[in-house]
Amino acid sequence: MAQRKVNVPEAGQWPDKLAVPALAAGAALTTAGFLMAFLFAAPVNGAALDAPELVGGVMVSHQQLLSQKIFYFHMPVAIVSFIALAFGAYYGVRFLTTREQRFDTCSRVAMEIALLFVVFTMITGDLWTRFEWGVWWTWEPRLTTYLILMLIVIAYFVMRNAVDDPERRATYASVISVIALVDVPICFMITRLIPSSVHPVITREGGMAPDMAATVVVIMLGMMLVGYGLYRLRFREARLAERVQALKEQMED
Amino acid sequence: MGRPSTFTQYKTLLAKDIRQEFRTREMLTSMGIYALLVIIVYGAALALTANGIDVMKMGGGLLWVLIVFTSLLGLGRSFAHEKEQGCMEGILLVPLDRSVVFLAKATANILFMLAVEVIAVPLFYFFFMSGEPVAPTFLAIVAPLVVGTVGMAGIGTMLSTITMNTRSRDVMLAVLFIPLIYPLLYACVTATTAAIAGTEFWMDFFVMPLVLACGYDVVMLLVCWVLYDFVVGA
Amino acid sequence: MRKTKGPGVNLARGEKHTNPTSDPDEMAIRALGITKAFGTRKAVDEVSFELPEGAFLSIFGPNGAGKTTLLRVLSTLARPSAGEAYICGVDLRENPDEARGLIGLISHQSMLYPDLTAEENLMLYARLYGVADPQARVSELLDAVGLSHRRLDQVRTFSRGMTQRISIARALVHDPKVVFLDEPYSGLDPHAVDIFDELIESVRGNRTFVMVSHDLAKGFAMCTHALVLARGRIVTYARKDDLDFADFSALYRDTVGMGVA
Repeated sequence: MAQRKVNVPEAGQWPDKLAVPALAAGAALTTAGFLMAFLFAAPVNGAALDAPELVGGVMVSHQQLLSQKIFYFHMPVAIVSFIALAFGAYYGVRFLTTREQRFDTCSRVAMEIALLFVVFTMITGDLWTRFEWGVWWTWEPRLTTYLILMLIVIAYFVMRNAVDDPERRATYASVISVIALVDVPICFMITRLIPSSVHPVITREGGMAPDMAATVVVIMLGMMLVGYGLYRLRFREARLAERVQALKEQMED
Repeated sequence: MGRPSTFTQYKTLLAKDIRQEFRTREMLTSMGIYALLVIIVYGAALALTANGIDVMKMGGGLLWVLIVFTSLLGLGRSFAHEKEQGCMEGILLVPLDRSVVFLAKATANILFMLAVEVIAVPLFYFFFMSGEPVAPTFLAIVAPLVVGTVGMAGIGTMLSTITMNTRSRDVMLAVLFIPLIYPLLYACVTATTAAIAGTEFWMDFFVMPLVLACGYDVVMLLVCWVLYDFVVGA
Repeated sequence: MRKTKGPGVNLARGEKHTNPTSDPDEMAIRALGITKAFGTRKAVDEVSFELPEGAFLSIFGPNGAGKTTLLRVLSTLARPSAGEAYICGVDLRENPDEARGLIGLISHQSMLYPDLTAEENLMLYARLYGVADPQARVSELLDAVGLSHRRLDQVRTFSRGMTQRISIARALVHDPKVVFLDEPYSGLDPHAVDIFDELIESVRGNRTFVMVSHDLAKGFAMCTHALVLARGRIVTYARKDDLDFADFSALYRDTVGMGVA
């Protein structure tokens, strides 16, 4: 990782070889998880699917029980997106301390992955809201936080496009990625802790049943591997592009 | 020639901003007029629905919309003079701590924003709320106003330092600023609305958001303070 | 065929890290392998040179040769990616603040606030630098640049030439040992250029000057040392006494040609 010998950006170290297998394994695990979600994990509190059911004293339609399956994807995707954001900020800090271009590339690619997963989170979350609460959108803490997160990540890329000098762009981008990482938990906390008279804060249901937990873990692992594989592939591509650029410049000399 | 204290440098920079503003009145007039225009737009927007009670409920939110957009205008201008003749570089050539530049500029922005609020909030009250009985807790809105202004000026100063070197800087500032201040805005709107309504349990909706907003201010100002060196050094 | 390296080039290269003959303390500027790079793009590439106190160095080079970047590194506005630089023996990386106290910069931008008066601008910088008696120093400088009678006027109302004179006063407010000039002539009419030159000569004293300029003849006339950069590297570094203007300008034309190709 920390070898910096030549003056051409290096690419294709050993982690790149893992990218495709990781992606494949991630896809397999996610698919397995998908099947598990429907075939293995029981509906909440062992409800049957063929008729409306009483769950925790509330009548729940079977449509809602099915929509609960989205949760198995929603949560892992959301967590992976946050992990990607954290990596973006981590590499941002690394860049600020070292001023090496490769960390800026790392940070940028991590943010791209974050954007991808945030968008997935938004889609799955929105589907869930639609079925669970019957509305397309509600200013619920988690949804709000992810909307804001998505806007920040988009702003990050808009900002990158608006700066010409590469070093300055990298510096500003790193700073924004750090601020974003700090801002997002605060956003979640504030939207969650402030009592709202309109929408009750959604409290967490009790613990997860073992079969649910197993499914979540499988999908989570799968998503993480997918995230890692995508990250590595994209990073390699970006690095190779930089390498081509550098070689072109060398030929000019 | 001894190096002056950090506080002296801070005062010098702040005095410079204030003197410049007094001479040109650029930010205050543009922000003030903009605030008035937003109020006029509200007047049209609420023309049919606005019986006083509705506005009382929405008042906190509307007031903060006014403040956010007005601040955005002022923050976007706050580094125009530094950029114009390369003055920022002149300042950076002086042996001083970079965070002093941040603190002085943020303080100036806080002062200008508060000055505009001192005019805009009574105007807002005059146009939309004066027909209704005022809750005894109304004056408590000062607290969220101050806390919100401090946080917005802090992060806004940081962001406008960044955007002054980008293309289409005004749009850029809005794109970065609004998502990043969202938590603060949410907290301040809640607290302000609670104070305006002044119902029996208003303290529940007032104290907690205010504390959270203060927390946001502290964390964000610290982060900006630490990162500012990198931003101006680029 | 013409030499591609100037006669005095041994001043620059070779003895990169230790130079037993020169006393480092007497050097106004010592640059050791300064590199400013981002990724693979090197704006300044291993530039090493020494400049004695009281010298006047002109840096020449085509657009994009890294002149301004080098100047920004030497004036602490940019951090070098590698290498060391000393201003009057002060390490720029270790003690940037101390070095800043020794440096003045006159640029093509005035670095003055147009809405403040000449005096207010100078007072601002005098206070920031912590000059002992700001008022006296500012009056003295305004006299020196011949603008005492306009001291209460806003800089906005000044002509380009007058602004540049105030800009000189601004750069000298803390009595710096080394003064950098970054394209100081751009936008000045010939008359203003003459005044500017006279002023620089009158404030010269024992100060060291480093100027980046496009104007070969002018830069050459003023300097005691000349440095040519191309693609971030030193092509020539020599004392003027060792150079002949015709030779030098021919060499420079070669360099510029190289830079364009």
